[in-house]
Amino acid sequence: MSVTDTTTSASAPTEDAEEAARYRRDRRMKVARWMLPSLVLVVTVLAWHLYVTLWEVPHYILPGPVLVAQSLIEDWGLLYPALLITGRLTLLALLFAVIGGVTLAVAFTQSKWAEMSFFPYAVILQVTPVVAIAPLLQIYVENAFVAALLCAWIVAFFPILSNTTIGLKSTDHNLEDLFTIYGATRWQRLRYLAAPSALPYFLGGLKIAGGLALIGAVVAEFVIGRAGTGLGLASTLLEASYRFNFGRLYAALIMISCMGVVIFAVMSLISYLALFRWHESALKRE
Amino acid sequence: MSAAPALHLSGRATIAGGPIFGPLDLDVPAGEWTCLLGPSGVGKSTVLRLLAGLGGALAFDGTATAGDGRPLTGRVALMAQQDLLMPWLDATANVCLGAVLRGDAAQRTRARALLERVGLADHVRKRPQALSGGQRQRVALARTLMEDRPVVLLDEPFSALDARARALMQDLSAEVLAGRTVLHVTHDAAEAARLGQTVLLMTCSGITAIEVPQTPAPRRFDAPETLAFQGHLLRQLMETQ
Repeated sequence: MSVTDTTTSASAPTEDAEEAARYRRDRRMKVARWMLPSLVLVVTVLAWHLYVTLWEVPHYILPGPVLVAQSLIEDWGLLYPALLITGRLTLLALLFAVIGGVTLAVAFTQSKWAEMSFFPYAVILQVTPVVAIAPLLQIYVENAFVAALLCAWIVAFFPILSNTTIGLKSTDHNLEDLFTIYGATRWQRLRYLAAPSALPYFLGGLKIAGGLALIGAVVAEFVIGRAGTGLGLASTLLEASYRFNFGRLYAALIMISCMGVVIFAVMSLISYLALFRWHESALKRE
Repeated sequence: MSAAPALHLSGRATIAGGPIFGPLDLDVPAGEWTCLLGPSGVGKSTVLRLLAGLGGALAFDGTATAGDGRPLTGRVALMAQQDLLMPWLDATANVCLGAVLRGDAAQRTRARALLERVGLADHVRKRPQALSGGQRQRVALARTLMEDRPVVLLDEPFSALDARARALMQDLSAEVLAGRTVLHVTHDAAEAARLGQTVLLMTCSGITAIEVPQTPAPRRFDAPETLAFQGHLLRQLMETQ
């Protein structure tokens, strides 16, 4: 590098060039964020297709992507109602998980006695594998849909309970003092101080619970079967495996995955919309 | 605002058996700005907390009363080093918080006017995150004015600000809080020298009043009397142990 080069580096045009370079880099990153995963997908599907056709893999071992796509279209009349059933079970479980988790968290933080009495049992309920509980639910709960719902609810509610409890407890002590000086009532403390403080924690729990509700719903369909819920996606998947209809099995599997992704995306959006104006997690650094 | 009362505190405080401050007597004159100056760890903030009714886990053996004999509850406002703003509320809503909790009708117009008075007319809709440290303390000051309490307790509210913002904030506070009984806890001799109409030095052995210059507070930061007084206060701080 010559001397003249270094002397010009501080001048305005170079800064503009640097800015332009940064802009180009940002754009490249933006495109790459979409392009790279799409590329991976295309390559994987292509490799899958080639492997299945070149090695002549029988469809009951691994169906090719074309067959799966075909099943997805041809069986849509069967798969779409199944999607609605699994979706309804998942969303209801999530809804009750939110109601139950938040109510219990409020009860736990308002009363030490309630927390001491019930928290261990909430933990036991969470750590016992739901697959082990589900057959029992089927026996003791007469209505099979309620049994399936309970099954999904058990899995989904704990992260909401646990996160919301931590959130309600982690109110800034200095703000507590301010509310004391204001002479705020217990209810006002909860409504105006503890609840907004707990919101980011609750939303973190909600994100986890959304995915878990779907897992719970799938487990419920597997164990309790179509008796309770009708033919959901997981029941469809199971049935297709009995019939060696692997195209449909994969189609159902893909739809379950897509549903999980959509649930996660919606929860992330809710979280962003609730927090982007004030919470650290959603603010851009300047 | 009702008439500003004098404040008296006497006694000793302990926490879990360990002493926080020994037996002491504090007299804060009514309607004046009193600086309670002292090194860290002598229990200055504890004195404030006791007057604010935030005793908590403290064991306090003594009395904290107002000069007019009525209870202090509901007549005290507090500004601390942290601005104590709710991060999820914008500046106006933060100023209105006390009114909302009391069930008063929304007083947004009055809140806006107070924010304007502390120089934040352009920032009324911003959340604390979008404001600078100095601006946040201005919001806290507007909130204190909104509460309109006759007794204002200040716990090093300016210590996190840069020198310029601090000087501006000191002038503004002295202006808008005039006439109230202000007890200002600080470890900064320069601050006490500028603002104190009464200056009390708090050490482990108790509280002593220090004679203040004739010039009215707030004193100019670069006036020779202010600087001399600052030096005097600092010397007092250095000599105590």
